[in-house]
Amino acid sequence: MPDTPLIQIRDLHATAGDTPILKGINLDLYAGEVHAIMGPNGSGKSTLSNVLVGKPGYEITSGEVFFRGKNLAEMDPEIRAREGVFLAFQYPVEIPGVANTYFLRTAVNAIREHQGLEDLDAIDFLTLLKEKMKLVEMPEDMMARAINEGFSGGEKKRNEILQMLLLEPSFCILDETDSGLDIDALRIVANGVNQMRSPDRAMLLITHYQRLLDYIVPDHVHVLSGGKIVRSGDKDLALELEEKGYGWIEQGEGASA
Amino acid sequence: MSKAAESLSRLHAALLLPSPSDADSLATSGITAAQPEWLREQRREALARFEEQGVPTRRLENWKGTNFAPLEALSFTRAGMASSNFMSGGDGIDIAIPETEEPAATLVFVDGRFDATRSGDADKDLPAGVEIKSIADLLQADPDRLRPLLAQLTDTKRQALTALQNAFIEDGLVLFLEAGARLIEPLRVQFVSTGSPDGASASFPRLLVVAGENSEATLLTEHVCAGTATGFTNYVAEFLLARGARVEVVEIQSESAERIHVTSAFARLEQDAHFDSHVFTLGTGLVRSELEITLAEPRAETRMRGFYLGRDAEPSESQASKTKAAGEKLPGSHIDHFTTVDHAAPHCTSDQEYRGVLGGASKGVFRGRVIVRPDAQKTEARQQNPNLLISDKASVDTKPQLEIYADDVRASHGSTIGQLDQEALFFLRARGLGPDEARLLLTRAFAHSVVGGITNESLRSTTTRRVDAALASVGALSSTNAAATSSGAPGSGDHR
Repeated sequence: MPDTPLIQIRDLHATAGDTPILKGINLDLYAGEVHAIMGPNGSGKSTLSNVLVGKPGYEITSGEVFFRGKNLAEMDPEIRAREGVFLAFQYPVEIPGVANTYFLRTAVNAIREHQGLEDLDAIDFLTLLKEKMKLVEMPEDMMARAINEGFSGGEKKRNEILQMLLLEPSFCILDETDSGLDIDALRIVANGVNQMRSPDRAMLLITHYQRLLDYIVPDHVHVLSGGKIVRSGDKDLALELEEKGYGWIEQGEGASA
Repeated sequence: MSKAAESLSRLHAALLLPSPSDADSLATSGITAAQPEWLREQRREALARFEEQGVPTRRLENWKGTNFAPLEALSFTRAGMASSNFMSGGDGIDIAIPETEEPAATLVFVDGRFDATRSGDADKDLPAGVEIKSIADLLQADPDRLRPLLAQLTDTKRQALTALQNAFIEDGLVLFLEAGARLIEPLRVQFVSTGSPDGASASFPRLLVVAGENSEATLLTEHVCAGTATGFTNYVAEFLLARGARVEVVEIQSESAERIHVTSAFARLEQDAHFDSHVFTLGTGLVRSELEITLAEPRAETRMRGFYLGRDAEPSESQASKTKAAGEKLPGSHIDHFTTVDHAAPHCTSDQEYRGVLGGASKGVFRGRVIVRPDAQKTEARQQNPNLLISDKASVDTKPQLEIYADDVRASHGSTIGQLDQEALFFLRARGLGPDEARLLLTRAFAHSVVGGITNESLRSTTTRRVDAALASVGALSSTNAAATSSGAPGSGDHR
């Protein structure tokens, strides 16, 4: 294990709009690790993912997040993306009029440029795209269509994973990527994510249900409640949660307080 | 009479009263004494109507959004470019006609007059039953053929600028389609405006399409300037569609900031005819573009599409020093689209969508009139006018006008004024695109929904290139707050 974490979250407080949501999160992710964050609705899971990618409307009020030792708060969203931070969105946006292929190539080249690499030309890109599309079992005709336009919920999520496969980020955040997926889609998505597991990369899975973790087995599981991590453990914690429900944690927290 | 009206009338005198003693005027007008008496009478009548009405002012209901006073500021020294040696291409004038990268042949009209040399062989190899003629040629060779067709859709009593155009008819393009004829490969027509060395020039390009029963045609009309070309382009197009005829026309207006452009297009559709109009306003000057469609017989259908891009003017080098000296800046685009669709018969459909992107200190105006006459039952009429403001100095004024006199009608209209979708913008940035690139991508997407409506593939790709080039030149698409005014009924409504 390397000495320094890839991601260091230090006493992070953040607001969504004007509402304080995160109330002191501490978390280290080392390269090669997969962490899962679970928690009931409203516990701050999505706020955490939005803060990490710098979405407008979410503000860090105190504390810090370091990515490879650099303060994330000082980077614009596109710089974070180019540096290797990636969020697979819970609700991928539809963008009529922008063809998927065109968008993906633009994004890949924006990141390559940042890394000092040459742009991929249309043919090289297409080769790469086809290879990655196979991994998420995406039919080729979906690429000619506009971004997510008319895609089913499962197709949108697969498109997010496809973007992750193409952009090869070093820090992947998956925000409830399992929500709304049937079992086949879940398997495909998980398969894509597992392809990305590597010693150079850290992943943060944000999920409400244990189900996803049958397919993507995490190294660490954390429970978020009331804007704080109230319990951490290994994959068995997720099973325990599934069995006993979030009430168990919340009661436990209440009892210990 | 206003200054502009006076100077235009003065130019016009040569057309009306050619006499041997006025040889100079004759040479510059290019019209010979051989013009038919009916045309001379038509000119006289049209000029009288123009002089009665004068240049439109904002006092007129239909001109409230647009100040046309800049026309008054022009001092015309030349109407058209009509010397005979010019027509032979031996004019020695270096006209930098904007490149057409398409392999397809293009018919070129310079200052409204057909330029055979520059047109190459665009008029060769036409399909059976398709004929193209220049108005000037027809007036010489077969004026009676033109008489029942030319200026049939124009109304000089209420359209001063169209009256002026009628008075100045010199040349233009006539496309005849016999019954059943099909012009599938699009006809490309370029109207080039050139300047005048010592003042403003005026040009009066003209188009007449006569589509016989069940005929089909696709065409592109493009308005460009060779250089600055300070002046006034007054273009009139008429489309006569017989039963079952289908015509698709793409018009691209990209004249300079120094040229005032007016398009007045008219179409009349008989039973089962289909008219597809796509208008793109990409220039940086003052533009008034009118489209008036009459659905005269049952089951006629029209699709009216428009895209306008407002932006600041980029003065040419010589112009930059001039305006600097004068201490003023060119105002940027002012684009006024005025559409009318007249449902005069039952079971007709009109589907209208004009989209605007306004940047810099530009202004957009949209007025869309939909008239449904008492016996036009089972009418379907849709009108949409979404606008995107990408600068805090830009503004848009949009007003739908529905006049429905029938009761069994489906009509809807909506106008929106908004900014780029912040969620989409963030998504693109989260994938590594810079803010300017993300905005450009979304703005292009907004425009491309209009471009994408062009049925003909080759015209769609030409238009895509033109629109993309214009959008790219807007530069950093600002995301700051934009001002909006909306008169009449903003938002949307349904009438059933």
